[in-house]
Amino acid sequence: MISKIAWKNFYRQGLRAFLNVLVTALSIIAIIFNISLLNGFQAQATRNMVVSDVAGGHYLVPGFDLLTPTEWEDHTRPVPSELRQMPRSETAEVLVQQGQIFPRNRLYPVQLRGVEMEQSLLDLPMDALKSQPAEPGDYIPAVLGTKMAEKAHLRKGDTVVLKWRDRFGAVDAREIKVVEVAYFLNPRIDEGIVWLRLDHLRSITRREGEISWVAVDRYRGPVEGLRSETVEELMADLLAMLKQDRRNSKILWTILIFLAGISIFNTQILNVFKRQKEIGTLMAFGMEPGQIVRLFALEGVYAALGALIVAAVLGVPFFTWFQSVGFDVTHLKETAIPVHEKVFLDIRPGEVAVTGVTVFAIMVAVAWLPVRKISRLEPTAALRGKAIA
Amino acid sequence: MKTALRSFLPFLIFVACLTFHDARGIASAGEIDANALLKAIDDNLWSETKFVEGRLVIDNGRKERELAFDSWLEGREKGYTHYKAPPREAGTKMLKIQDKLWMYTPQTDRKILIAGHLLRQSMMGSDLSYEDMLEDTKLSSAYGAKVEKVEDVDGFPSLVLHLTAHDETITYQSRRVWTDPEKKIILREERYAKSGMLLKKVDFAGYAQIKGRLFPRSLTFRDMLKENTHTTYHFDVIEFDVPIPEKYFSLSILKR
Repeated sequence: MISKIAWKNFYRQGLRAFLNVLVTALSIIAIIFNISLLNGFQAQATRNMVVSDVAGGHYLVPGFDLLTPTEWEDHTRPVPSELRQMPRSETAEVLVQQGQIFPRNRLYPVQLRGVEMEQSLLDLPMDALKSQPAEPGDYIPAVLGTKMAEKAHLRKGDTVVLKWRDRFGAVDAREIKVVEVAYFLNPRIDEGIVWLRLDHLRSITRREGEISWVAVDRYRGPVEGLRSETVEELMADLLAMLKQDRRNSKILWTILIFLAGISIFNTQILNVFKRQKEIGTLMAFGMEPGQIVRLFALEGVYAALGALIVAAVLGVPFFTWFQSVGFDVTHLKETAIPVHEKVFLDIRPGEVAVTGVTVFAIMVAVAWLPVRKISRLEPTAALRGKAIA
Repeated sequence: MKTALRSFLPFLIFVACLTFHDARGIASAGEIDANALLKAIDDNLWSETKFVEGRLVIDNGRKERELAFDSWLEGREKGYTHYKAPPREAGTKMLKIQDKLWMYTPQTDRKILIAGHLLRQSMMGSDLSYEDMLEDTKLSSAYGAKVEKVEDVDGFPSLVLHLTAHDETITYQSRRVWTDPEKKIILREERYAKSGMLLKKVDFAGYAQIKGRLFPRSLTFRDMLKENTHTTYHFDVIEFDVPIPEKYFSLSILKR
């Protein structure tokens, strides 16, 4: 009976009830959208980095740090036999050295990155290098990323002087020819990098058979002479950034819930104040204060349930449409974030359920809190509408 | 006929002088021991101790900076330089002991060890690397020399020596030096990459007699891979075999 009366009361609130439901529903949609967008962003960034650079982890020469270019030359070594014998689809050998190019007679420090041509683990646009002979001829063929080419003012077919040191410290310089300007989805392997065939880089730096790291499809246990880094460790900075984003999104989440909660809380306070005579009448008819509290709280529960239903009705078509268009993040091209394409939502049922249940629980709580005072009302004062000043 | 001969006489004398001058150079070129000449050049340049007061002019093609400095050098392994001007660089100190270089800047009040690959970076935006500045190997001990040709430098014939490094750890695996075999001095130097590409050019100018040695008053370095840049050392005061207090080659000097 209480639920029937509660539903009638809720229904009679009309526009006020509808607005409460709508605000809460939109909050639920916004929260799920926000969480899923971050999931999608992280998933795409991880996928881009894994296929182009990180793979399933790296085995690095101890002491090697990509952020310390002045020490790259001190941390190279021959490939351990257990990794060398693995199929080329499971490993990719990489050698990194310092170099300087002189486009338009201006010095431009670069990272020389040699990757073996036989590997198929990493998806890199190296076709133009694959067709080159194993020994460099009149020039050293090189591939540049679009960002790198733009910054260095180089185009396909251009030649430029490259200066480097060999393993003994002797300085050497030759012309390189840009055989391809390729698009790298992952900007971390574009800007500042001159891509060479691994055999060419080894030959010009006299580091036969040496590597800076070996990318592998998955962890293969300890390898003597190398240290391993997982995908998470290699992407630590990006994951930390996304973690911070999630933390920031919780602030938004809290604000949205707070606004929706305030709306219901306010409605309930107004209900108790305006419906004192009704409360007094119900008491006079013998209804227990606890039952009246349940009646009013139930009206809040209906609002929360309504919000869940409206969120589903509005959210499903919205998310379906969104997944067909995606979120354009091409503006990130100028950053080091490895996502340039459209980002799509990664909606996880668990997170949707947790969001729904949490919002529902909070709404029920804020609907119940203001009506607790009903149990303390004097029936006679309530009948006169003077129980609450 | 006589008038014509008279008018041509100065020209004939000039041509004869030039021919004799070049012929003398070319004739003696074959007899000169290139390695002995290189050693004589080193002996002229290197001394036990040296004090230099000078200026370093860095021209990067857009802007010119001039740094005033005092340097104390002991043998080939120790050197201490104190920059005096401009105000931004004043108080900067560099101490070189063997293959290590410490730099002190008053702004940070810290001394930084510039070692290993950091030595290959450009020194204060100049055409020299720290390594170039630290160069402490005598040419005669690092390179084997061969007489290549006789070539004019500023109107004077000079003997060109081609130097090939004895050791594969030497930064520049080959050099070419334009020498005056009479005066045992270098007039010009080119430094090459292993591939043979020209990387740096150094012009030695203003040779002056100081304590029985001929020493250049200025050295101009040009990075041949860059455009319109050069760095010139001007040596205003040079003193050889001066006593240098031991504290100048101690890390404790690197403070305000």
